[in-house]
Amino acid sequence: MRVSLQQELDQLEASLQEEGALVLRALRGCLNALGRQDAELADEVIAFDDEVDETYVAIEEGIQSLLARQTPVAIDLRNVLAVLHINLHLERMADYCVTVAKLTKLVHDTPPDGTLTEALEDMGTRAEEMIQTALDSFANRDVESAESLVDMDELIDAANRRVVHQILSISADPDLREWGLRMLLVSRCLERIGDHAVDIGEQTAFLVSGQFREFTDASH
Amino acid sequence: MNIIESPVQVAQQQARELPPPEQREVVFDVSDLTVSYGGSPALKNVSLDVYKNFVTAFIGPSGCGKSTFIRCFNRMNDLIPNAVVEGTILYHRQDLYGPDVDAVEVRRRIGMVFQKPNPFPKSIYDNVAFGPRVLGMTDDLDGRVERALHQAALWDEVKDRLKDGALGLSGGQQQRLCIARCLAVEPDVLLMDEPASALDPISTTRIEDLMHDLKREYTIVIVTHNMQQAARIADMTAFFSVQIENGHRSGVLVEYDATPAIFTKPADKRTEDYVTGRFG
Repeated sequence: MRVSLQQELDQLEASLQEEGALVLRALRGCLNALGRQDAELADEVIAFDDEVDETYVAIEEGIQSLLARQTPVAIDLRNVLAVLHINLHLERMADYCVTVAKLTKLVHDTPPDGTLTEALEDMGTRAEEMIQTALDSFANRDVESAESLVDMDELIDAANRRVVHQILSISADPDLREWGLRMLLVSRCLERIGDHAVDIGEQTAFLVSGQFREFTDASH
Repeated sequence: MNIIESPVQVAQQQARELPPPEQREVVFDVSDLTVSYGGSPALKNVSLDVYKNFVTAFIGPSGCGKSTFIRCFNRMNDLIPNAVVEGTILYHRQDLYGPDVDAVEVRRRIGMVFQKPNPFPKSIYDNVAFGPRVLGMTDDLDGRVERALHQAALWDEVKDRLKDGALGLSGGQQQRLCIARCLAVEPDVLLMDEPASALDPISTTRIEDLMHDLKREYTIVIVTHNMQQAARIADMTAFFSVQIENGHRSGVLVEYDATPAIFTKPADKRTEDYVTGRFG
């Protein structure tokens, strides 16, 4: 038994889960800032991204060092590769949270459309659920749970489409036009967070089966 | 048409891909082979094919029978009085253990390199010329010696001192000399029993590079304790393990597959436990 290798793998996975928890905090923060039009909180979310980035870099360096010294193979290699990919997906999710926070700051003094704000909060809640499911399914090596992310993603995609229609319907109003355009981007960010959660699910399936496959065909 | 992949990616992919089984030429067809010493089996019921111009690696823990197995390919076990080989090994479809087979001719066609370099206490030249002289292959002996030393990537280092004693060479050079000695009699197969385990990392890399070049002309079978070495050089890898039955330990073949499969997604849990270091 290669004790030191196993300890390092466990440590990497623990760091990855910590990074996931940070991303969830960033997402909740940017959703609250958006809902309350709170520019101060938006600034906090933007600054908070440094913590995610530090964890991201620490995991990246840990993987580099482990690969150089331990030459993992088979399931250990797949585990390291999965962590490498998931690390990047989580970091991108946090970047989307920063974008949402920045967009919030740009329009924080514009009166929002209540229906649209609710729809975005709903999308954000779904994105939170997807991140948690992605992290849990990876930790538990649960492919079935990972595959359920596809259905969850369809719901978030549908919500995104509804938001787009809603924005189109208010675009004639000059007071709401800029706000609406910003919210279009917010909606897109939340939708992309869902896509990254599905990508994490695919890494879980790869780790367990040894075969990488996309859960859905992006070309259709 | 593939418009996204670059030519470099395509070349890399092709280099790693093996020809499909139906296009492979079988050099050794091993069927239900059991080898016993003094009545107790050291290796049981092994069946596998070794393919032409492939590097095939045997890996496994000590006592799993991999060295016993590789010695069957050139009938080295004949030299052990109480060794009994059952089952069949077909070499180019001919029974290697058939009654009319000349063991000396077998060992000319199927050369062997051992763990510890074992040059004769003679000159560099005489070491390489020894086999051809014994076998009467003396036409253009100088040319034959030079070709073998070139093939073994040793020529440039020894061309000005061919008459010097072989024992004055470094360990890595001695091992390449032993490879040249095998190549001088124009074999078909090279068997290597841990050929780099007594060498430093630089010499090991040279031997591995050499194997990569030699497989264009020869079929190579290697036993190695160094799993990363198998991962680097072998096209196919066979994992052997120890099975204990009624208190008797014997070697068994657990899994035989393309090397990338063995080291990325082995099919058998025992293989995975061994290659990941969780064995035992």
